[in-house]
Amino acid sequence: MYKFIKQYAETMNNANIYPMISLFIFFIFFVVLLVMVKKMRKERVEELSNIPFEKEELTKSTL
Amino acid sequence: MQLEKFYYDNRIVKNFAYATILWGAVGMLAGLWVSLQLVFPQLNITQYGSFGRLRPLHTNAVIFAFVGNGIFMGVYYSLQRLCKARMFSDKLSNIHFWGWQLIIVAAAITLPLGLTQGAEYAELIWPIDLAITIIWVVFGWNMFGTIIKRREKHLYVAIWFYIATFVTVAVLHIVRSGELPYTWLKSYTWYSGVQDALVQWWYGHNAVAFFLTTPYLGLMYYFLPKAANRPVYSYKLSIIHFWSLIFLYIWAGPHHLLYTALPNWAQSLGVVFSVMLIFPSWGGMINGLLTLRGAWDRVRDDVILKFMVVAVTAYGMATFEGPMLSLKSVSAISHYTDWIVAHVHVGALGWNGMLTFGVLYWLIPRIFKTDLYSKKLANNHFWLGTLGILFWAVPMYWAGFTQSSMWKQFTEAGQLKYTFLETVTYMKPFYAMRSVGGILYLTGVLIMVYNIYKTVKQGKLVANEEAEAAPLVKEYVKHSGEHWHRVIERKPVQFMILSLIVILIGGIIELVPTFLIKSNVPTISSVKPYTPLELQGRDIYVREGCYVCHSQMIRPFRSETERYGEYSKAGEFVYDHPFQWGSKRTGPDLAREGTGNLKKSDGWHFRHLREPSSMSEGSVMPSYAFMIDQVLDTSTTVAKIKAMQTLGVPYAKGFEYQANSDLSAQANSVRINLKIEGIQVPANREVIALIAYLQRLGTDISKNKTATSNK
Repeated sequence: MYKFIKQYAETMNNANIYPMISLFIFFIFFVVLLVMVKKMRKERVEELSNIPFEKEELTKSTL
Repeated sequence: MQLEKFYYDNRIVKNFAYATILWGAVGMLAGLWVSLQLVFPQLNITQYGSFGRLRPLHTNAVIFAFVGNGIFMGVYYSLQRLCKARMFSDKLSNIHFWGWQLIIVAAAITLPLGLTQGAEYAELIWPIDLAITIIWVVFGWNMFGTIIKRREKHLYVAIWFYIATFVTVAVLHIVRSGELPYTWLKSYTWYSGVQDALVQWWYGHNAVAFFLTTPYLGLMYYFLPKAANRPVYSYKLSIIHFWSLIFLYIWAGPHHLLYTALPNWAQSLGVVFSVMLIFPSWGGMINGLLTLRGAWDRVRDDVILKFMVVAVTAYGMATFEGPMLSLKSVSAISHYTDWIVAHVHVGALGWNGMLTFGVLYWLIPRIFKTDLYSKKLANNHFWLGTLGILFWAVPMYWAGFTQSSMWKQFTEAGQLKYTFLETVTYMKPFYAMRSVGGILYLTGVLIMVYNIYKTVKQGKLVANEEAEAAPLVKEYVKHSGEHWHRVIERKPVQFMILSLIVILIGGIIELVPTFLIKSNVPTISSVKPYTPLELQGRDIYVREGCYVCHSQMIRPFRSETERYGEYSKAGEFVYDHPFQWGSKRTGPDLAREGTGNLKKSDGWHFRHLREPSSMSEGSVMPSYAFMIDQVLDTSTTVAKIKAMQTLGVPYAKGFEYQANSDLSAQANSVRINLKIEGIQVPANREVIALIAYLQRLGTDISKNKTATSNK
């Protein structure tokens, strides 16, 4: 298997495609991430961001 | 629901806190010492205390001992609270703590002894690498154990950063440590030349990313809201920050190799991703600073917040500068200069240092149930630290910039305006000013040591802190249309796998083609393996850490080809295990030391190594006179040649047994050369091997030229 890949890869001469592929992968990844985060509900976000605090600390900080 | 009572383990937090303070002071003291060595070369006392051996000790101590223990202190404190659970196993916690300290001690012993792999920030020898792997697994096991038995359903953003740190450092460490041992202390790296360089800076840059940055961002997301007593500015932003940061960081390594012999596509890849990195980095910085919205008045009085604000600001400055330095045109100026050293120290002293101090001042009084002994002293520490950073960085920025322009200036007649030595002597006052910055910063740290000592004295450790929380209900009913991120936030193992996939995409696309595609490293027929004596000499070069000050990579600029000779080609390094391109030119480039107008006699090298300033007045290089007395260890020659054969270096079959007689013959000819120049030295000395290696540097390509011109 490895030999097969190696044989193929050794003769491949268009390495410039690599930066393009990677940029494309990141672009898709980022757009999907952005949409997902945008869709999060506000109450959930608030609940999550309060995890570090104890209940009593919270009442104090929101006063 | 019935609340469960349990206890947080504060003892382990205290241990790591003490360790970070101790190693921080030691590492910074080592830094101050090596900075003074560049001003007063006579401070290079004995071979064990030379700059080339102590500088790696300083970098390793600060990164892995100071910041490493700082990470564990913060993780062990915050993880327990965020998971509402005690650490998974006290035994694992203790093994982790003592194991890590033993590794540090082993590093502190081996590095001055010259036991090194010759790769920046990956200097430690293979048995220590093995120990690091084991202890890192212990840390991960303990962390995941705690996460799995947690009482809080969701994983707070800080924990994602801890998980990504764990998994990525594991991958980086394993790939970088690919090495073939040939004795029980020494080894050669599997990779050679360009490939080794790519692996090295993929590792090196991500050591910055995943050891100095992501875990500290985790600490920022926990301790900054705690100290400010308000939740993080935007949790949504933190999700974007996290995923984009870990995705992008892993690609950025090649920006350390711009204009080198690395294939062009890999350089472009590094540049593009480095520039994009500014967005998640600044997203994180803004998220940190805006957490203080409406509480800025408190920053004036609260010393802990002051430390944290400077830390986050330094993070912002360093992560703005990083992408700028990655642009090819800026790299052309900044690379190899002390500018980079200044950039690194804004990160280390500002971001890591100041955040660690802020966390220490916040955490120690809490686990000792007392107040901080003196806010005034903490304030003094803050100002000394901040001024120290400025005094450190400003002269070095100035110096780096001037150094670069001096290297590049030509006279009207078209000749280089300055000799390399002139640039070195010009730097000395700046090096001295930098040391003053270091003294200020270290003084601040010593004040902190006193302040924390007094705080600890007046309090009493709450080794087991009582807490209560409801157990986690196992049966969780999934809502329809539930958000994807909520799902993985509950599942740490899946989370880890996803982070692993994200970072592996970058690693694979970047590394694999360079390893597989032959055209990436064109072979040069006249490049031949080193002779046994040169190989031994090269290993001495590695042992002494010459790469700390000398590069072996000439970039294709007129200012460099005029000074050093023809620019370096990828094919010249195919037998270099490890590569020795270096990253800083405190001394001149040595890639063509044995050829062209740089060629010097054996006698010159001998005198220069014995007393550098006798040949180059004003040189800051340490004396290597001990090599004249030290006998070359030839008992390793056979093992070395065999190891090289295994790694694919084309020594003829059976050559290993003839190697030592070849070695003696070549050593004898160097001895005779020296004798002609009036120097009497036996042929079996280390200095002979090093001279043979220096004389070999860069000659293969000129042989090729002579061959072609003869045709």
